[in-house]
Amino acid sequence: MSEHHGTHHHSHEAMRLLKEAALPTHIENFAVPNGMTRRGMLKALMGASAALALGVPGCERKPKRKIVSRVVGPEYQKPGKAIYYSSTWTEGTCPYGLIIKAVDGRPIKIEGNPEHPINKGASSSAMQASILSLYDPDRLRAPQRGGESVSWEAADSEIVAAIQRATSVVLITRSSLGPSERAIIDEFRRVCPQVRHFVHETIHDTPRRTAWKKIYGTDGEVLPRFDKARIIVSLDADILGTDGAVLENIRTFSEGRRLDDATHKQAQISRLYTLESTMTLTGSNADCRVRLRPSQMGGVVTALRLAAAGDDHAMHDMAAKHGLPRDTLVELVKDLHANRGESLVVAGPHLPASVHANVAMLNDELGTPGHTLGWNPTPATLPVTDPGEVEAVLGQGADVVICLGVNPVYDWPGGNFTDLLGKSGLSIGHGLCSDETSSACSISLPSSHTLESWNDAEPRTGLRTLCQPVIAPLFDARQEAESLLVWTRSLAGGKAETGEQEDWHGYVRQRWQAQLVAEGNSRNAVLAWEDALRTGGRIRPNSVAFPSLDRRVAEAMVATTPSGDGDYELVILPHPTILDGRFANNGWLQELPDPVTKVVWDNVATISPETARKLGAAEGDVIAITVGGNSVDLPVLIQAGATDGVVATTLGHGRTRGGTVCVEAAGTNAAPLLGRSDPAVPRVAVGIGIRKTGDHRKPVRTQKESSMHGRPIALDGTLDEYRHDAAFVKHRRHLPAPADLYEPYDYSKGHKWAMAIDLGACVGCSACVTACQAENNIPIVGKEQCDAGREMHWMRIDRYQDGTPDDLKIHHQPMLCQHCDNAPCESVCPVNATSHSPEGLNEMTYNRCVGTRYCSNNCPYKVRRFNFLRYHGARLRDPVQELAFNPQVTVRGIGVMEKCTFCVQRINDAKYKALNREEILRDGTIQTACEQACPAQAIVFGDANDPDSRVARLRASQRSYHVLEELNVKPNVTYLARVRNRASGDHDVGGHDDGGHEA
Amino acid sequence: MSATQCAVPPTPAITPDLALRRLDDDIFRPMESFPTRRWWFAISITGALATLFVVCVGVTITQGIGTWGNNIPVGWGWAIVNFVFWIGIGHAGTLISAILFLLRQKWRTGIARFAEAMTIFAVICAMQFPLIHTGRPWLAMFWLIPYPNDQSLYQNFRSPLEWDVFAVGTYGLVSLMFWYTGLIPDLAIARERAVHPFRKFAYGLLSLGWRGSHKAWNHYEKAYLLFAALSTPLVLSVHSIVSFDFAVSHIPGWHTTIFPPYFVAGAIFSGFAMVATLIIIMRKMFRLEHIVTIEHLSAMNKIIIATSLMVGYAYAVELFMAWYGGVAAERYAFMNRAMGPYAWAYWTMVICNVVVPQLLWFRKIRRSVVLMYPVVILVNVGMWFERFVIVVTSLHRDYLPTSWDMFSPTWVDIGLFVGSIGLFLTLMLLFCRFLPTIATAELKAVMPGSQPSHGVNHA
Repeated sequence: MSEHHGTHHHSHEAMRLLKEAALPTHIENFAVPNGMTRRGMLKALMGASAALALGVPGCERKPKRKIVSRVVGPEYQKPGKAIYYSSTWTEGTCPYGLIIKAVDGRPIKIEGNPEHPINKGASSSAMQASILSLYDPDRLRAPQRGGESVSWEAADSEIVAAIQRATSVVLITRSSLGPSERAIIDEFRRVCPQVRHFVHETIHDTPRRTAWKKIYGTDGEVLPRFDKARIIVSLDADILGTDGAVLENIRTFSEGRRLDDATHKQAQISRLYTLESTMTLTGSNADCRVRLRPSQMGGVVTALRLAAAGDDHAMHDMAAKHGLPRDTLVELVKDLHANRGESLVVAGPHLPASVHANVAMLNDELGTPGHTLGWNPTPATLPVTDPGEVEAVLGQGADVVICLGVNPVYDWPGGNFTDLLGKSGLSIGHGLCSDETSSACSISLPSSHTLESWNDAEPRTGLRTLCQPVIAPLFDARQEAESLLVWTRSLAGGKAETGEQEDWHGYVRQRWQAQLVAEGNSRNAVLAWEDALRTGGRIRPNSVAFPSLDRRVAEAMVATTPSGDGDYELVILPHPTILDGRFANNGWLQELPDPVTKVVWDNVATISPETARKLGAAEGDVIAITVGGNSVDLPVLIQAGATDGVVATTLGHGRTRGGTVCVEAAGTNAAPLLGRSDPAVPRVAVGIGIRKTGDHRKPVRTQKESSMHGRPIALDGTLDEYRHDAAFVKHRRHLPAPADLYEPYDYSKGHKWAMAIDLGACVGCSACVTACQAENNIPIVGKEQCDAGREMHWMRIDRYQDGTPDDLKIHHQPMLCQHCDNAPCESVCPVNATSHSPEGLNEMTYNRCVGTRYCSNNCPYKVRRFNFLRYHGARLRDPVQELAFNPQVTVRGIGVMEKCTFCVQRINDAKYKALNREEILRDGTIQTACEQACPAQAIVFGDANDPDSRVARLRASQRSYHVLEELNVKPNVTYLARVRNRASGDHDVGGHDDGGHEA
Repeated sequence: MSATQCAVPPTPAITPDLALRRLDDDIFRPMESFPTRRWWFAISITGALATLFVVCVGVTITQGIGTWGNNIPVGWGWAIVNFVFWIGIGHAGTLISAILFLLRQKWRTGIARFAEAMTIFAVICAMQFPLIHTGRPWLAMFWLIPYPNDQSLYQNFRSPLEWDVFAVGTYGLVSLMFWYTGLIPDLAIARERAVHPFRKFAYGLLSLGWRGSHKAWNHYEKAYLLFAALSTPLVLSVHSIVSFDFAVSHIPGWHTTIFPPYFVAGAIFSGFAMVATLIIIMRKMFRLEHIVTIEHLSAMNKIIIATSLMVGYAYAVELFMAWYGGVAAERYAFMNRAMGPYAWAYWTMVICNVVVPQLLWFRKIRRSVVLMYPVVILVNVGMWFERFVIVVTSLHRDYLPTSWDMFSPTWVDIGLFVGSIGLFLTLMLLFCRFLPTIATAELKAVMPGSQPSHGVNHA
C-alpha cells in the first residue's frame, strides 16, 4: 500500500533521470579501475541512491521496473547504511562544524560536529535546512549567457578575455570567506592588478568591528563568555538570535543558568538584562528588560558608566526624561557593582561605533576583559566595503564586474545597483540560483552548494576547519573559488603561480598539507590531511590575550554620539530564519515561525501597541516607511514589548527572482531603507516618516493566541522561590488524585522511552523544529495553508506572553507529541491506526489511517498533524527533490494523520545495532533529532526505566511537571519549570498576569 | 383504546366526511398524472443543488479535505455538523411511525408515511458526510466495517466512531424495512390502479404479490408492530450514540454527560420542525389539506414546544455545570460560546431554538399555517447552529491557547451543505411522484365507520 500518493511518477522519473544523467556517461570509469575519478564515483553513488530513493520512501511492494544491481559497489558503501562525513557549514556568518549523514551517496541530514568547539554538536535551523537548498530544483543548472545555456569553457574564455582587456575589474564577494578563498582572491589580484575586491553584506558588524579596531588598536572581535558571567547586559544585541556565534552563545548562556536540585539553597544563575528597541529572541529570554530607542543606547551606557562610578544622577535624569523604568536601572547598577569582573555588556552590531566605544569602556571599567570577555584576532568575516566607495568605482563604469555569491541588485543599501551594473562592461553573477543579480548580469554562473564544495574556515585563531563535498555537484555547477582559480590560471597564462594543482580541491589540499606539516602535526602530509578531513579540521583554538583599550581614542569616539530626533526610529534586523535573504528560497526556513512573533512567509513592520494606537493602525494595515527619500510599504505587526516609537523590520523578503519559494513568499524588500539616514549606521534610522497607505496585507502567524489565560501550562518561578523550595511547581498546584478505570499497563520491563525538556534552558531558537522537519520528511504547506491553520510541524515552540509592556513575561515551550500512557488519541481511532508500543511510544500506522481526525480532536496538546492536501506532491516539481527524503521515514500521503514518533527510526536503529553487538543500549546512544540539534541542551531523551539515565533523573527533578497533568493522560514528556532570576524577588505564578512587578 | 388517555389532546385522524374512493383518488392522483409545471420547476432547482453536492463530493475526494475549512484544531467542521443535523432530522420519522404507533396515536397516520420517507432520505444525506469527511474515504468505506481480512486487522470497538457505524447503519436499515413494509399494501393499490403495463409490472414487483388476504393482513400487522417495537429503542439509541462522538472525548464543551438525552430531544425537535416544513408545502402542492389537516400540524407544534423546552433546559444545565464543575477549561469553553468570536452562532441557536418556539403557545399561531411556518423554519436553522456550536466552537479553543484557531467554511463546505438539502428535496420530490405519500391503507382503517363502533365516536 503506497503512502507516496502523487509522487510515484516522480520516483520513477527520479530513477530514470539520475540513471541517465549519472551513470552512462561515467560508466567507463568503472570499467578501468584506475581511471575512476572522485566525481565519477560520487555520481555513481547518486545513481545507487536514486534506486533506493525509489524503493524506500515509496513503500512499493513490487518494483515496476527492472533493477540492475551493482556487482562491485563503491568502496565504503553498504546499501542503506549511513556514512558520516565531517565538514564545515559556510553559508552563514559563523562557520560551524558539521557531521553530514549520507545514505547511498546522498546527504540527507546535517548535524553539528560534537568536536567543534564553537557549536559542539548543536546545529541551527539554517544548517538543518541546508539539505533542502542542496536539492533545490530552482538551482541554476548550467552557465547562462543572455538567457542561453553555454559551456563552462565558453563562459571562462569570454570572462578571461574580458579581464585581460579590462582596465578596471570589480570583484564583489560576501564577507565570510575562508582562508583558502582569501588566498585565491589575493592570487587573482596579484595576477590581475586591475582587480578591486569589495565586500558586500547587509548584515554585518562593521560599525562594531571598526570601533574595536580603533580602540583596541588591532583587528579582531570580542568573544562574550556567557557561562562565566553573572550579570549579562545586552544593548540591542540579539545574542541568542542572530548576533555572533549564536549556537555558542545559546550554549554558554544556558550553561550559566543550569540548576542542581541538590544545591538549590545556594543556587546561582546568571541574570540577563536586555535594553532593546524591539522584542528579540534575546529580549524574550531576559530576566529584566528595558525598552529603549536605538538613539538612547549611547546615553544609557554613559549613564551606567557614571552610575557604576558612583554618580547616578545622569541615570535618574535619563530615566525621568525618557520614561524608563528607574527601578530596573537601579537594580542593574547595583548588580554591576556587586559583580565586578563577573558581568559583561554587549551591544548590537547595528548600533553606531560610539556606542561600542562606550560599551568597551564600560566593560573595561567593570573589569570584564579576560574574564567574561575573550578576544579573537581572526574573525570569520571580512569588514564590508563602504557602499559609497563601490558606487564611486562602479559609477565611473567598470569593464568587468564579478559578483561572487552576493546579490547586490536585490539588497544594495539604498537599492540602485542595477544602474551601476548597467554602466559596467561585462557583468558576471555567480550564485546558487538565478537571482536578481545573476539574471541582471551578462553571464550567470551556477555555484555549487556547500555540501558539494571544498572549502575551509578559520573562525577562531587556531581553529581551522575543512569543508568537504559529500556529493558531486548535482547540476553543471562549480564553486566560486574554483572559478577564480580557473580564471587566475588562465590569466597567468600557464605560468603557474597557483601551483600545479589541477583543481580547487588540490589547491585547498596543498595549502592544508603544507600548513599541517609546517606546524609539525604529522610527518606524513597525506595522513595529516586525511585525519583533518575525518575530524573536520584542526580543532585546537588558541586563547589570545585581550588587547588593551586606548581610552583616549574611545573617549573621542563617544563624544561624537549622534542624537536621535523625530517621533519614529527604524531598526532593520536580519530575518530570524532567512537572514538577509540568502535562505529565502528555502521552504523550511520560510515556514519556520519567527520565534517571537510566530509570523511565517513574510516580513512586517513590528511596532508596539502604543505606537499602533498613535498611528491608528491595526495589525495588517500597510504603512509606508520613508527614510531619506526612499519609501517601503510594510504591513504592521503589533508586538507587545516593542519600544514605543520604534519600527523594526527585517531584511530578506521581497525577492523578485531566485526561485519559486522566495517569490511565493513575497514580502517587502527593506534594503532600500539601508543607510539612508546615516551611512555609517546603515541599519538604524532616525526621523523617519510613517504614513498609512490604506492597503492591507495580513501577516500570517502559526500561533494566533498569545496569552496563557491563567492556565498552568508553561510554568516558572523566581530564583528566590527556587532557593526556598526547589519543588515550588509541585507545591503550587493541587491536583486531584488520579483515578484509572482500568489496571495501568506495566511498563517496568524493557525500555520506556521518555523525554524531558528544561524550560529553563530552552531559549526558543527553533532549531529543533527544523531538525525534526529534516529528519522526518515533513512537508511545507505554504503561507495560505499556514493561515488556514494547517502547518505540519511535528514539533512547535509555543510562545506565551503575559504582563505589561514594561514587564512582559515571555515563555517558550517546545510542544510535541507527549506519548501519553493514557493516550486519548488511541481510544477514539475507529481503525486502530494509532496504538501504543510496549516501550511507551504512541505509534502511528500511516497505512491503516483513514483520516477521521478524531485523534487530533481528542488530543489536548493538538500536536497531531493532518495531510489536508497533497503537500509533498504539490511541491515536488523535480525528481531531484526526492533525494532529500530520509529513506528511513515514510513519506506520508494525502488524508493521513501524522505526528512526532520520538524518532522511532533512530530508536530501532540503535536497538538493532546494540543487539547485533550484544551490547547494552547506553543512555545517550539514541538522540532524537530535536535533542541533537538543540544548542541549549534543553531536550533530553532516554529510557525512563534506566534509573541512571539522564531522562530518569530529570523526571525525578524537583522542577519537573507535566503539562495538563490534571487530565490524567500521563504524558511522557516531562517539563522542568523555568527559574527566572528577576531583579526584585517577586513570587508570581507562571501563566498569571502580574502587574505588580516594579510598579 | 381511548384517545383521551394520550399525552397529546385528541386529534381527529382525518377529516370526518371523506369517502374511501375519493381518498384513493386524492392520494394517487400525483402519481398517475403528468407532473405539474410546479413539480418540474421544483425538481430542476433541487436537482441542480443535488448535482452541486455530487460535484463537491468529487472535489473533496480528488483534492482532499483541504478544500474545506477544517484545520488543526478544528478537525471536524461542517461535514460533522451536517451529519448530526441530518441524523437528527430523521428522528421525527421514526418517532411518528414507531413510538406514536405503539401509543396508538391515530392522528399519526396522515403524516407517518411522509415522515418515514423523510427519515430515510435524511439518513441517506447524513451517511454521506462521515464517509467523505475521512481523509481516505476509499479505505474508510470498508475498513470501518468488521469483515474477515488477511491482515487480521480488526476495528477498535472503544471508538465512538465505530459505534456510530453500527448505530447509523442499523437505524438506516431498520427504517428502510419499516417504511417498505408499510408501503406494501399501498403499492398493491397502485398496482391495481395502474393502466400502463410497465407501471403495473413495477408496482406489482414492489408490492411483493400483496393480495390483501386476511392472512396477509394478519402477518402484515404483526410485522408492522414488531418493526415499531424494534425502531422504538433506535429513536433513543441512534442520537445517544451520535452524541457519544462528543461526550466520550475530553474536549471542554464535548465532555458532558447530558449529551445523550439532550441530543435525542434536539433530534425530535428538529425532526418535527422539518416534517412540518415539508408537509406544509406538500399538502398544499398536492391538495391534501383535507387529509393532512391543521389538527395534525397543531399536534406537531405541541411536540415542538415540548422538545424546545427540553433543549432549552439542556442549554441552561450545560452552563450551570460548566460553572459548578469548576474546571477552568470547561468554564472558558462555555464563556467562549456565549461571548467569544462565535457568539453570534450561539445566540442564533438560543433565539431560534428556545425563544422563537415559545410563540407556539398561542393557539392562533399554532393553528395558522402562515404564522407557524417561519417558526418551524427558524427551528431548522437553530438546530443546525446548535450542531455548529457544539462541533466548531468547542474545538476551536481547547486546552492550550497556542493551538487556538478559527474555522471559516469554503465554497465546498457550503456547496456540500446546500447540496445535501438539494439531494434531500430531490429524493422527496421523486418520492411524491412515484410512491403514495400518505399511508392509504392505514388511513382507511382510521376513517369514520371503518372501526367497530359501540355507538360512541371517540374521534
